[in-house]
Amino acid sequence: MTHINRGDPILEVSGLVADIAEKRILNGLTLTVRAGEVHAIMGPNGAGKSTLSQVLAGRPDYTIQGGSAHYLGEDLLALAPEERARRGLFLGFQYPVEIPGVNNVYLLKAALNARRRELGLEELDAFEFMSVIREKMKLMKMDESFLKRGVNEGFSGGEKKRNEILQMTVLEPVLAILDETDSGLDIDALKIVATGVNSLRRDDRAVVLVTHYQRLLDHIVPDYVHVLAGGRIIRSGDRSLALELEARGYDWLLESSSAA
Amino acid sequence: MNARPREASFLTRLAPALDGLPEARARAALLERLVGLGLPTPRDDAFKYTSLRLLERRALAPAPAASTPDLAILPPASGARLVRIAGRADALPDATDSGAAIKTLAFDPSTVTVGDAATDRLRLLNAVLATQETRIEVKKDASATLEIVHLATLGGSYPRVRIEVAQGASLTFVETYLDAAADASFTTSVVDVVLGRDARMEHVTRQLADARAVVLEDCRVQVADGAHYGHASIALGAQLARLDLTVSLEGRGANADLRGIFLPDGSREHHLRTLVEHRAPDGTSTQTYRGVATGRGRGSYDGKVVVSVGAAGTSSRQSSRNLLLSPEASIETRPQLEINADAVKCSHGATTGSLDERMMFYLLSRGLDPSTARAVLTYAFLGDVLTTLKDEELRRQVEERILGVLPSADVIRGFVHE
Repeated sequence: MTHINRGDPILEVSGLVADIAEKRILNGLTLTVRAGEVHAIMGPNGAGKSTLSQVLAGRPDYTIQGGSAHYLGEDLLALAPEERARRGLFLGFQYPVEIPGVNNVYLLKAALNARRRELGLEELDAFEFMSVIREKMKLMKMDESFLKRGVNEGFSGGEKKRNEILQMTVLEPVLAILDETDSGLDIDALKIVATGVNSLRRDDRAVVLVTHYQRLLDHIVPDYVHVLAGGRIIRSGDRSLALELEARGYDWLLESSSAA
Repeated sequence: MNARPREASFLTRLAPALDGLPEARARAALLERLVGLGLPTPRDDAFKYTSLRLLERRALAPAPAASTPDLAILPPASGARLVRIAGRADALPDATDSGAAIKTLAFDPSTVTVGDAATDRLRLLNAVLATQETRIEVKKDASATLEIVHLATLGGSYPRVRIEVAQGASLTFVETYLDAAADASFTTSVVDVVLGRDARMEHVTRQLADARAVVLEDCRVQVADGAHYGHASIALGAQLARLDLTVSLEGRGANADLRGIFLPDGSREHHLRTLVEHRAPDGTSTQTYRGVATGRGRGSYDGKVVVSVGAAGTSSRQSSRNLLLSPEASIETRPQLEINADAVKCSHGATTGSLDERMMFYLLSRGLDPSTARAVLTYAFLGDVLTTLKDEELRRQVEERILGVLPSADVIRGFVHE
């Protein structure tokens, strides 16, 4: 993989149109994310925030009807979900699925080694892997019992989100897309999640936070804030836009956007 | 009426083979009765999903008296072991350290009392040809662990086992069905279990027969007051395999916990039928069955629960979940409940489908390739039953066999064994 410098484009989405079951969800979405940046995508319910996350990760339920998406210069939409993951794109799910019988740690090890193979690195053996994961678990304040459990099996909502962030910190993605990772978290869990995300920030990586509320942005300060509504980005700004949204809600923007 | 010409011709071919057997006249009489009844067919409700027509192409014979197959094929024993070759005990001395009293008796077919029902007719067939019966007894408050290996040889194998676990006693009992030679063997086994008051038994049957084998097991269990009967059946081999398991909860507070895995791949057929009869108050039963069909494999789980008059306070749960991994694979499932008492809690759930798309996408989004993701999810699907196998060596052996059947075994092996 070529070296990524601060400011290099990581994700370039242009005019993206996507349907699910013949219903249009994304309707000409354009977004560029560069190395070193954190973007927050906010918007009312049903705006298409989760769809954007899932489409970028390659969920097969959506049909792309137009536009393009490039990731590190490659046609993202032509890549299978597992190829996207191995190239360093990570989706933190809004609703992580429970997979009883599949051990958390085995999954994480398989995921990390798939990524390392892609990077031309040697796979980690069990011992090396365990030392990596224990360090990250400490960061995420997760206890040992986690190691023995099935993927998200019997986890509380907050534990599932922390597990997503744990996976992210282990996999060290180039582009992390976090879909409403903050929803359902109490303030302590929110801080832990923020610590995990902030630990990932680097000049050669980028983060896209999809969120409904601005409170996560108190802990992870974004470089850009976008408002997604009706399947398009209708307003972009800096952090102050998020504060304004918190004070005024979305309606004023929706009105001015439909008027325009 | 000439309704069953095929079966009759199959059965009548058996007649000459009886000449050399003890009690030949009693056997001939049983055979005549069986010819009159015919073997069960899918027209019989209990055999709705199972056709025995392929027996037509088989030549059956009584067990040859002396044969010495290669015993190296046996999986490592995790405890005391008995080996029965074609249903007979001639080959090896029985283990003496099991904690149970073991006797092998000549089987007298004239003592058999079975009805005419479809499931009774395979017992009748066994009785026509069986020459020995193994009796296992665990005395009051004693504890025993024992495996019996049923080795089928060319021709037919007709094991009969009677087990009594006395009051307060416990038995861990593993039955392994194997072939002595890779050939078209035929096994029809009869296992009868009687559990005394507060007795406990954990029964595992693993069917590992060769690809052309036919294995038909019939197991009937009576459970007294406060006793517990657990059964895990693992069906992996054979061309056609069927287990009929009837558990009668005779005493107050008796409990049955029945579980099973069946994996018809290639062109195999695996059929399971359980009948749990709640005959006394406060009994509990669970049935947990998981089927995975690949290739042109076919399977069925037919689970019936009958709550008799007077069995108030009964609680029963049934779960049948099945995965179809190819378009030509099929699994039928039929939960049946018959409730004749009040204050009864019974539930059942049955699903047959493909792998969960959300789980698949989650694994793909973590970089697993689709074949690995499918294999891992398939294996995990069986976890509900596999984790109930408490004997680690046994579980390891079963897991290895399952991995051998599933696609991408090497990948899952790396994934789940670290």
